[in-house]
Amino acid sequence: MSERFAYLKEAWRDEALKRLQSELTPEKMNNVTTSMSNIYKNCPGGEEQFLFVECRDGKVTRVETGSGESPQAEFRIIGDYETFAKISRAELGSQKALMTGKLKLKGNLARALKLAAVADRLNKVLAKIPTQY
Amino acid sequence: MTRILDPTDKYYIDNPGRVKAIQAEMARRGIDVYLGSRIRTMSFVLDTFCPWRSYVIIPPEGQPTYFTFVVDALRVGDETWLDSDHVRAYGPMGGMDQVSAITDFIKEELGIRKGRLGFEDGISTYTAEGNLSHWEYTHFKDALAGFEWENAHDIVDALSLIKDQGTIERFRTASLIVDEGHKAARAALTNGGYKGMTETVIAGIAALAMRRAGSVSEWNFAGLNEISSGYRTGLGACTPPTTKEIGAGEPLMLDFHAMFKLALGDHSHNYLIGPATKRQRRHADNFVAIIQTVIDHYRAGTTPGTLAAIMMDFAESRGCGDFIQPACEHGIGLFGDEWRIGAVVNPALPYWTDQDHVYQENEMVVCAMQYAAPEENIGFRYENDIVITKDGCEVLSKYPLGIEEIS
Repeated sequence: MSERFAYLKEAWRDEALKRLQSELTPEKMNNVTTSMSNIYKNCPGGEEQFLFVECRDGKVTRVETGSGESPQAEFRIIGDYETFAKISRAELGSQKALMTGKLKLKGNLARALKLAAVADRLNKVLAKIPTQY
Repeated sequence: MTRILDPTDKYYIDNPGRVKAIQAEMARRGIDVYLGSRIRTMSFVLDTFCPWRSYVIIPPEGQPTYFTFVVDALRVGDETWLDSDHVRAYGPMGGMDQVSAITDFIKEELGIRKGRLGFEDGISTYTAEGNLSHWEYTHFKDALAGFEWENAHDIVDALSLIKDQGTIERFRTASLIVDEGHKAARAALTNGGYKGMTETVIAGIAALAMRRAGSVSEWNFAGLNEISSGYRTGLGACTPPTTKEIGAGEPLMLDFHAMFKLALGDHSHNYLIGPATKRQRRHADNFVAIIQTVIDHYRAGTTPGTLAAIMMDFAESRGCGDFIQPACEHGIGLFGDEWRIGAVVNPALPYWTDQDHVYQENEMVVCAMQYAAPEENIGFRYENDIVITKDGCEVLSKYPLGIEEIS
């Protein structure tokens, strides 16, 4: 049985960075420079957590996870831990989660719409990490 | 209309001066922030046409910030004197609905968390909205003191969801009238006819043809016949026509509206004004294929969320997922009934489409898709009234689906 990574823990974060860097080329990421922070509410441990991803010129340069204050990001996406987990397990599309209010976006909407497909590609890579929730 | 910044222009208005005068009056009355919502306020402050539901937030000093529905933000940004950072958008996403976007802006960006807020309320004879305003509510309630008041619009919403045959027949006729507008527009544009022609003129040519065919109004509050050409197609939305001339090598969106016995014909068709590049042709072919795929999947039992997912997956498979906007329809009914799908007020995003609404036979929607490539100055919009049937749908405009290169 393959190794399973505990969701948002250090090993999962390192695996996420490795996969994002190897599977998403700058062209696939539209050479975009941006950053986004997922803010996880109602986590199993009770503490609020975050997943921060930074891209520079289409290359994923940084993935951070942790609790407390997230690094400053162009976009913040806020939702329940379980909602994000469902997206990671491919049980719920990120677009649908936003369109139904299960996730809340903070940032410039017009720019966010242009990055919707890029975010989708990123989520699809994360969804393939063998994860224990 | 184009912004006028030259004080010597005979049509110049001192818009910054107007704002300073409002802010002086706010200070005199102890108002910390002003939330404007009336069309006349938008016209007075922004000096541009703001047909979509909009809000302007005026701080104690500095530029106001304007919020409108995301489809029209680019045009307003081009036309108003405000700088681009002060023209914002709202839309149907968590955190981006009108209330969240505006209240977050006031609290987090302006840093105003308490104090006096000026707002606009009253009564008018203009029915662009029609919801009972706070002023009306409080004054009617005072005059009918013995009644308990309940918001009951859901009664009419639910009853009007499934269309009767008379309504559907009216829509069939309204859609054929729109086709007359498209025929007239094509005839006027081809063989070099587009040269020197503005968006407003082609809108008028179509309007005349549709009136001759029986339409009584172009009905749409967001600019009657909505036209975009060139770079402004890049958001995949038409919005009000401008005095821009249609140019060679540009995409052109024609979104025509006809009203027949209160039924709302609504068909958006696209062209490439020649000579088109291979890249433009590729975008056009992508969009036509996506439209056909979505139309092929409409049927009783499916949902807006399912159709959007099918559309996005198909777009991704053709390598154009970056350009397709994640929604493919809006509601339609008799005059005044537009946009929201379903009769339930979705508690997560009130008054926006319920993504899990299950379509039933004889519901109607406008199949509406947007293809947006702003960096390449190209985009398309498709709209067409459709009736949901047991095993599919009936597309009411019979104008041939396609994106033709004309010159």
